[in-house]
Amino acid sequence: MLRPDINDLLTQTGPGTPMGDLFRRYWQPVLHTDELPSDGCPPVRVKILSERLIAVRTPEGEYGLMDEFCAHRGVSMFFGRVENGGIRCPYHGWKYNADGQAVEVPSELNNSEFCKNVKLRSYPLVKVGDILWAYLGDPDKRPPLPTWEFATVPSGQTFTSKRLQESNWLQALEGGIDSSHVTWLHGGGPTGAGLEADPLFAGSKGNQYNKGDLKPFFEVVENDGGLLIGARRNAEEGHYYWRVTPWVLPNFTMVPPRGDHPVHGHFWVPIDDENCWAWSFDYHPTRDLTEAEVSAMEDGAGVHSKNIPGTYRPVANKDNDYLIDREKQKTGELFSGVEGIAIQDSSLQESMGPIVDRTKERLVATDAGIIKARQKLRRAVEALRDHGTEPVGNIPEHQRIRSVAIVLPADQPFVEGIGDGFQAREGVRQTTV
Amino acid sequence: MPKVVYLANDGDERVVDATSGENVMSAAVRSGVPGIVGECGGQLSCATCHVWVQDPFREQVGGPGDMEADLLDLGVSDYTEASRLGCQITITDEIDGLVVEPRPEAWH
Repeated sequence: MLRPDINDLLTQTGPGTPMGDLFRRYWQPVLHTDELPSDGCPPVRVKILSERLIAVRTPEGEYGLMDEFCAHRGVSMFFGRVENGGIRCPYHGWKYNADGQAVEVPSELNNSEFCKNVKLRSYPLVKVGDILWAYLGDPDKRPPLPTWEFATVPSGQTFTSKRLQESNWLQALEGGIDSSHVTWLHGGGPTGAGLEADPLFAGSKGNQYNKGDLKPFFEVVENDGGLLIGARRNAEEGHYYWRVTPWVLPNFTMVPPRGDHPVHGHFWVPIDDENCWAWSFDYHPTRDLTEAEVSAMEDGAGVHSKNIPGTYRPVANKDNDYLIDREKQKTGELFSGVEGIAIQDSSLQESMGPIVDRTKERLVATDAGIIKARQKLRRAVEALRDHGTEPVGNIPEHQRIRSVAIVLPADQPFVEGIGDGFQAREGVRQTTV
Repeated sequence: MPKVVYLANDGDERVVDATSGENVMSAAVRSGVPGIVGECGGQLSCATCHVWVQDPFREQVGGPGDMEADLLDLGVSDYTEASRLGCQITITDEIDGLVVEPRPEAWH
C-alpha cells in the first residue's frame, strides 16, 4: 500500500510538481525520427510532462521544440508554415526561429525591437539513434546526451516503436519491473503456449525455467543508477535461473534476454498525469536484426504493438476491450484472451483506471521491486526538492547497462555471478540463456 | 509464557499470552486485537501491523530493518522512532510484558 500523499507525489509530473522537476533533469525520448522525416516537413504536436509543445525541423535541418501556441493570441503553431529559419503563424504572420525566438512581427513598425521581447518557451531537441530526445529542465543542469546502448548501436541492430498508454506513467513502470506477472499473463500460466508462440521469444531455454517454476523468489539490489531486480527460479539440480531487470531512474527498464533474440526494454514517458508513451526498443549488441525480426516487430510482435495507421494508439484498445477472445482465454491458447505482450500489459494496466488508488492495493513478497523502486523514486524527488540534490541515472555510467538471464550455482549471489554482464560493452554479446 | 500488552486509543489495555518465538502481529491477529490486520501474513510486504513500541522496551526491541523501514516510510502516516512492524518483532521471554500501541490507518 502507498500513502495517498506519496501516490500524488509520484504520479504528478506537470510543471512545478516535485516529480515533474525530477523528470526535468533527464533527456526523455519525445519523437521517433520518422515523425519529422525531412528538412522543412510539417511540424508535429508533442505533449510531454503535461506541456503542450510543437516540434519543427527547419528547411536547413535544425530541430526545435517550443510552446505549441503563438505568443500573439494563442493559435496552435501546428497550423504554422515551416519556412527558412523557422515557423510562421498563419494567423498574422508572426515568425519564430527553432529556438522559439520571434524574428518577425510584420504588423509592427519597429519590428526588430518588438521581436526582442517575444520568445516562446523552448527546449533542446536532439537526435541520438532513431530518436529525438528533449530536455525540459534548467539549462544549467543539462546532463550529457543519452548513451543508452539501444540508441547508440549501428542502426541496423536496433528497432524502436511507441504506443499510447492510457494510464499514469507509474502504473506502466511498475509493470516493467514486475517480472512475476510474466509467467502468468505472458507465459500462459501452467497450461498455455505463452511466450513460445511469439517469434521474438520462442526457443529459449529460459521459457522452460519460467514455466517450470511459478513461484519466483525476488531479490532487489541497489545499483548506482537505480535497482537490479532479480527473479530467481529453479533450474537444474543445485542451480537457479536468474532473470535480472535493471531499472534506471526515473523511467527506463530492460527486460532480461531470451536466447539470442534481440534484447528489449522500455521508456515510460508521462504525456500528462493520465497518459504515457510506452517506448519499446529491441536491439542486438553484436549483430544486425534479421529481416524476419524487423518485420515481426513492425507487425507488433514481441514488446511492440499493432497501432491504428497514422497514430500510436493500438488497434486493440480500451474502447474495444482490447479485442479479448474469450474462447482462446477458455482454451488457454491465450491465457488472458488478449493478443500480444504489449496489449496484454496495457489492457490490465489501463483497467486499473488512469491513476490507481494505491492505498487499496495488497502487495505480496514478489512486489519487492515495486516497493523498492517507489521508495528510491520518492527519496530522489524529495532530495531534489528539499536539498537540490541532483538525481542519479542521467549520466553515461548509469546508462550503459544491460539486462541479464543466467543460470548460476545455488549458493552464488546473482550480482557476483553476473559481474560485468550488466555492463554494455561494444562488440560483446549479451549474457543470456 | 511471555505476555504482550496492546494499548488501545481509549487507554484500555489488552494483554495476550504469547508463545515464545511467535511475533507481535500473529499473537494479535490470533487474539483479535483491534488495529492490527496483518494483511500480507508477515511476508514483509504491507504495513498493516504498524505499532509504536513503548518504553522501556524500545532499546531491547531495536529499530526496523531496511525493507521494514521502506514499508513504514511509504505506507503509514505516523512513522516515528518508536515504529515497528509487529510481524518483525519476535516475542521472547526477555521482553516479557512488552507494551505496544497499534497504529492502524484509516485506509487499512
